[in-house]
Amino acid sequence: MTLYKFSIFGILVTVIAFLLARTLKTKVNIVLFNPVLVASALIILFLVLVDIPFDDYYKGGKYVSFLLGPSVVALGVVFYEKYQVIKRNIYPFLIAVCCGGTISVFTVVIITFLMNAPEVILKSIVSLSVTTPIAIEITKITEGIPSITAGVVITVGILGNAIGPGFLKLLGIQSPSAIGTALGTAAHGIGTARALEEGYLSGAYSGLAMCVNGILTTLFAPYVVLWVVQ
Amino acid sequence: MNNIFRKRLKTTDLLQRSIKTIKAFFLVFLFYGIGEAVSHFVKIGLPGSIVGMLLIFIALKMKLIKLNTVKPASDVLVKYMMLFFVPFGVGLMMYFDFIKSYWLVLSVAATGSVLMTLYTTAWVLQKLEKDDAL
Repeated sequence: MTLYKFSIFGILVTVIAFLLARTLKTKVNIVLFNPVLVASALIILFLVLVDIPFDDYYKGGKYVSFLLGPSVVALGVVFYEKYQVIKRNIYPFLIAVCCGGTISVFTVVIITFLMNAPEVILKSIVSLSVTTPIAIEITKITEGIPSITAGVVITVGILGNAIGPGFLKLLGIQSPSAIGTALGTAAHGIGTARALEEGYLSGAYSGLAMCVNGILTTLFAPYVVLWVVQ
Repeated sequence: MNNIFRKRLKTTDLLQRSIKTIKAFFLVFLFYGIGEAVSHFVKIGLPGSIVGMLLIFIALKMKLIKLNTVKPASDVLVKYMMLFFVPFGVGLMMYFDFIKSYWLVLSVAATGSVLMTLYTTAWVLQKLEKDDAL
């Protein structure tokens, strides 16, 4: 049987694993049971057990990940919807996201430098605060490893989701818009999910912060990497 | 009699909704295509998907397209976004040894960056914002 050589195999496996993982998440609501994490683990386990090479899986998988492009475009629509809500605070908001986004990139640069990590690490994780589809686009520009990007970006999201609001409140941040903006800037979509639990206002700020930080990081992170690497 | 009529009404309703959804997807894909084309021909250093995202925002803001025309597609795409990056997650299987060697840097960078970014962003916004008495 060489059914797995056809691209439909990768598509089906991805969709089925994702639906399973999402059902699990609705049953057991723990951050660690992130659908991407669980689905990827299930598929890896399956491929290893049945001894199917990754390349054969990716024949179909690439059609699924192609849809990341249009879904980034769809974020523009979300951006428009949320923009109405936060219009009056737009300048403080933009300044805050720019500060946060810049700090994120430089923290990564400093940590990878201090810990003597090879160049490819910086190239792959410089965009770790940004939503996965945009982060992967950035990694393509910096010539890093997209899979490492995806892994680290999702880890960052889960961290932000799990500890974000508690950490901020501990440090004396009370404003729901500040908590939302911080979650969206630092922990993209997975953080935004948490911000939505804190309230609609937090959620709106968070969703918009995620979009703005995505654009901002795309514009300058590749140049920072270039400057550090040389 | 009434039942048949109601059924027919339901089918046309469904048909209309599917046409709306198809149209919405077509528009989102169109903006993606335009974005890719622009980023290919004009060297601005932005990926095509992001150019498309900016263009669709501008088009909505200038009222060239209505929110309700694209919303059926954008809602679905955003809802299933997580699905689309599963293949990259699976790609991690090619890098087990890489992760084994560098897990410490990767985790320190992830944790450090999250905490710094969260606090900086929240602190700046709380200092600058007008009171949001909503």
